[in-house]
Amino acid sequence: MNKKIKEKMKKKIAIVSLTACEGCQIALLDLGKRFFNLLKKVELVDFSLLEENAFPKGKIDLVFVEGNPITDEDLAILKKVRKQAKLLVVLGNCAALGGIPEMKNYQGKKKTIRHIYKNTKNIANPDIKEINNFVKVDFTIPGCPINNEEFLKYIKVLLTEKTPVMPMKPVCSECPYRGKENCYLRKNIPCLGPIIYAGCDAVCTKNNFPCYGCRGFLPNIKPEYFLKSLKKMTNKEDIEDNLEIFGLKDNL
Amino acid sequence: MSKLVIPHIHKTLGGAGFFSKISETGEVEDIKVNVLEGLRQIEGILIGRRVFEAPLVISRICGICPVSHILNACRALEIALDVKISPQTERLRRLITSAQLIQSHSAHIFFMSLTDFFDIKGEENLIKKFSKETSAVLDLRDFGLRVIETVGGRTVHPMTLRVGGFTKVPEKGDLKKILVNYDKAYKAALMLVKLFETLEYPQLKRETLYASSYEENSYPYSQGQKIKIGDEILTRGDFFSNKIEESLKSFPVKKVLYKKEPYMVGALARLKNNRNNLDKESQGFVNSFWKKQGIGEKEFFTNNFYNIYAQAVEILYLVKQVKKDISALEKEELKPAFVECKEKKGSGLALLEAPRGILMSYLEVGRDGRIADCSIITPTAQYLNNLEADLVVMIPQIYKLSKEKKIKRIKTLIRAYDPCIACAVH
Repeated sequence: MNKKIKEKMKKKIAIVSLTACEGCQIALLDLGKRFFNLLKKVELVDFSLLEENAFPKGKIDLVFVEGNPITDEDLAILKKVRKQAKLLVVLGNCAALGGIPEMKNYQGKKKTIRHIYKNTKNIANPDIKEINNFVKVDFTIPGCPINNEEFLKYIKVLLTEKTPVMPMKPVCSECPYRGKENCYLRKNIPCLGPIIYAGCDAVCTKNNFPCYGCRGFLPNIKPEYFLKSLKKMTNKEDIEDNLEIFGLKDNL
Repeated sequence: MSKLVIPHIHKTLGGAGFFSKISETGEVEDIKVNVLEGLRQIEGILIGRRVFEAPLVISRICGICPVSHILNACRALEIALDVKISPQTERLRRLITSAQLIQSHSAHIFFMSLTDFFDIKGEENLIKKFSKETSAVLDLRDFGLRVIETVGGRTVHPMTLRVGGFTKVPEKGDLKKILVNYDKAYKAALMLVKLFETLEYPQLKRETLYASSYEENSYPYSQGQKIKIGDEILTRGDFFSNKIEESLKSFPVKKVLYKKEPYMVGALARLKNNRNNLDKESQGFVNSFWKKQGIGEKEFFTNNFYNIYAQAVEILYLVKQVKKDISALEKEELKPAFVECKEKKGSGLALLEAPRGILMSYLEVGRDGRIADCSIITPTAQYLNNLEADLVVMIPQIYKLSKEKKIKRIKTLIRAYDPCIACAVH
């Protein structure tokens, strides 16, 4: 095929960041050569970490969005890219579930900001909400940060204009301690593995850190039953605190 | 009077913008480096939370330098709770800190700043012009990332680093595997230093106050006690409590001044205060750089464009430090390193050199065992005033250039500082 035609047929992708730590973008960069090889196969129209082109006009095949809409500008960018996107995919826990910044919703947000600024008049301080409260989301790549291997797997499907299907498996299905003596739950340490979406390769439990659910609840399950069982291990306050870390509590 | 505005400066961490008002004669009447991030209120969020959450939450301030944020929070809490860590934990922490600087610096100088020195835009053309170098830099960055992954559990927001030590220590075999790629990484680091040695750096001359951690006998990129600023050496507590001031008016960033003066932190500041503690080879490169550029010490430390070169030198030094630390660890038995700590009332202030400079983390634990206060002063918040002061000096000198060239030069300086707006705002 003619090189020019080939170039024209490349899918346009944009990777856009709202207010965020940018860890999900960095996770992509951390793929190193594999990320740059991927870029050869697409037309990267926006990724402000690496290029400085003006944001393109017209349709974009795939837009990835990371972070929380906190400022008015964040919200304007989000609405603009939704209009231009054929498929809008959210990247990571903040965009998908509100993430760490959502913890302030449970504290009384006026109180939280007063620890930082006395005069809060001109500082954007909205309730933190998942991105699907503002725009339609076509697919979610979860996690804090995203699993970049999973990103590579799903972008292949997304580039064919289909939305991937995530396997309905809990984190336990990937955990080496499942059913073994050093399973956290057996040791009476609260771990959310059984009710959380797999796909992270159980990276936390493998590293002796219990699951706090950054990838979100499995759909079509009732987490309440499982959460009740945790009361044998710890108090209600601890369980609630755990659910607040990665924005799970408001999804119950 | 005319306005010069750059709404969005790409290739910086988080979004930055630039605004200025310039008089007919080229004098700067008003200037501001804007931030395009919202306030996530990380410090406020932590109040009332459990101690173990602090490193986890603070990590999320920044996706490029989470290691620095986590380690400094851990250290602050260890001071607060009287927890002593083992020398092995200390060494593992130093190892992962070296790796943190390597990966952050190499991403910055090569993928963000390098194109500013040529007429090329975007990653595609960068890769075309420097295809061999791109591959080498990606290998070098990968060398750092594998250290972070092996010691920390993963590259972004590592979870093994905890108050008291590590939830899990790495396998010796995995550490050894990292060194298989040492020669490649070392050669890439040499290549980078030589590449950045030949660049034509824009002129800038402004007496600058440099601040960094300071140790008499070592290059202080790890946990620090003292700060050297100008010719003064201060304890971290004195610096934090008495000498610097955060502005509440510059929201959502609390910009910092030292005795009402701007100051510079980061790689160039570290070289200014500690270059005698670098290894001979890295020191040699600093000297040969001065010769090649036809400058001396004075010119080097009054021009913050050279921050880029300082980062290149640090990469070379730190790649060798990684080898040293891993080799030492190979001789030891790696023990589970998690000290259980009793939660009690207390407070701690920790100091660490993050890639972009001095990071100070203050944490207080209340009687209830929960976080009672938190204050984090990031490098970018400290040097934004200095960046603006540099711009005030530079703009009249480039006033006669075309608008396009002026904008390019301003962006080049801002990017040379390697600002991380996500850190600055948090």
